Amino acid sequence: MKLRTNLNKIWAFSTRSALVNRRNVFAIFEMVFWPLIGVFSVGLLTRFLSLEGETVAFILIGAVTMNTVQIAQLDLSYALLYSVWSKSLKHEFIAPVRLSHILVGSGLVGLVRGLVVFVLMGCLSVYFFDMDLGRPGLAGLSLFLLGLFLNAAIIGALVLALVLRFGQRAEVAAWAFSYLMLLLCGLYYPVSVLPRGAQFLAQIIPLTYFLDYFRNFYGFPLMSRHPLLYGFSQTVVYLFISYGLVCLTLKSAYRRGTLLRLSD
Amino acid sequence: MQPAIFAQGIGKGFRTGLWGPVKQVLRQVDLTVAPGAIFGVLGPNGAGKTTLISILATLLLPDTGRAEVLGLDVVRQAARLKARINLAASGAHFLWCMTVTDSLRFYGRLYGLGGRALTDKVEKLLDLFGLAEHRTVTFERLSTGLKQRLALAKALINDPELLFLDEPTSGLDQEMAHHIRQEIVRLNRETGVTMLLTTHNLREAEMLCTEVAFLKGGQLISEGRIPDLQRRLGLGDHLGLIFQDSPAPLDYDRLPGVLHHTVQDSRVDLVLDRVDERLPAILEVVYATGTKLAKVVVKPVDLEEIYHEITH
Repeated sequence: MKLRTNLNKIWAFSTRSALVNRRNVFAIFEMVFWPLIGVFSVGLLTRFLSLEGETVAFILIGAVTMNTVQIAQLDLSYALLYSVWSKSLKHEFIAPVRLSHILVGSGLVGLVRGLVVFVLMGCLSVYFFDMDLGRPGLAGLSLFLLGLFLNAAIIGALVLALVLRFGQRAEVAAWAFSYLMLLLCGLYYPVSVLPRGAQFLAQIIPLTYFLDYFRNFYGFPLMSRHPLLYGFSQTVVYLFISYGLVCLTLKSAYRRGTLLRLSD
Repeated sequence: MQPAIFAQGIGKGFRTGLWGPVKQVLRQVDLTVAPGAIFGVLGPNGAGKTTLISILATLLLPDTGRAEVLGLDVVRQAARLKARINLAASGAHFLWCMTVTDSLRFYGRLYGLGGRALTDKVEKLLDLFGLAEHRTVTFERLSTGLKQRLALAKALINDPELLFLDEPTSGLDQEMAHHIRQEIVRLNRETGVTMLLTTHNLREAEMLCTEVAFLKGGQLISEGRIPDLQRRLGLGDHLGLIFQDSPAPLDYDRLPGVLHHTVQDSRVDLVLDRVDERLPAILEVVYATGTKLAKVVVKPVDLEEIYHEITH
């Protein structure tokens, strides 16, 4: 009974996210247009620079990663922004819902949308730029995708914390956060080309290790000996930290009256 | 009997800016609301009505004091309490692209409803609030009145034992406001749900509330049943006796229930403790003098006078 009640609460946020995506032309635009632009602009650039097979794969993996993470984190980031935009935040928080219901419910839709983007971009990369997406095998692909989605969840949770603290002004953070992270984790280049200080920052970003792990299947040497171990350990730590941060900002929002201010 | 709401020494302040001074919005508010009552919290804008209702509705933490709603502490037992209360506020706001049905289903799920139970509940509320024919209309396309009806329907999705109504008719036209008030009274009568209502519309409070409390500058300055407040403040009902010629030769202040009187030409104005009880006796005395009355004007004391007396 309690499980069913909790599942209904999670399902509430999933269906709401799905509805908004279905009825909002820009959401479809986000899922199709930008990934298309991403894969073709990067793919054609590799052609212009006459890059060889493995190097093309290196760069296309970056493009696919960027778009997948961006789209997957959006639903989580928007979970509260939808309520802020519609000024209905107090109606959500007067109900007996927990943060976990919001995060899991909205995150599920983000996962599905991220998966669609990954598949779409992967197929385009295979068809137009001869990328061998199947080379890492099902296990390799699954672990890489899991890493991407968990990193998207970290970004989404941090944006949620910012929304609860700063309201609508945090909207821009939904994009800025992921771009900053993607810049540092060696999206289109090896981390070794970054300045020394930035290289250190790259080492504390789990996405760096997942990219390292995946690109190794295409013949690029491993930067770290155990990329999955480092990647997943850091991810778990960051997930705990970001969840804790959202809980703290929610508590502060109850004290400071942010929930009411964002509903006016 | 355990009160539906019991609050003691509630205080709340908000800091302006990051390092600005704290503006005190509520100061030492005590409140007791009986189960099944429609209790009105009245006061001008900025009096602290919404802040008080938000604390009791678990949306805001108080700085000082403690409050229990339905026997549960609003801070420590908020999670359990949330399942038993709900809120409808003025200027209803829901997600713009969700239809009436989508919105009700969404909020129903937030209370753990699902499957057949959710569908039945949504259908019942659609019928109850006359929303069935608008079920597929998105929120942004609804009229103000329909949005407010949806807000009330949403507030009943979990069969709450206590309902917070924050200026529920604000911004509505007369007809719609009247309709919503009727709904509120009907709900209270049929389901026995306790209601805490904030308003600055005194007529509305008079029509709906069994008890009222006045807030001013964050302080609760008076509380009680309207007739009790009237008595406490020495306010009375008005009775105007307009005679055909000169007034009856009487010592009006000695008549039963008369608080004071004024005479002007052929008109005598009496202020009585209870006009409904005293009128027959007074008319009898007047008729006994043989003086002919042209007109009798009765005007019971209204909340506006009480409010004016309290706030000034």
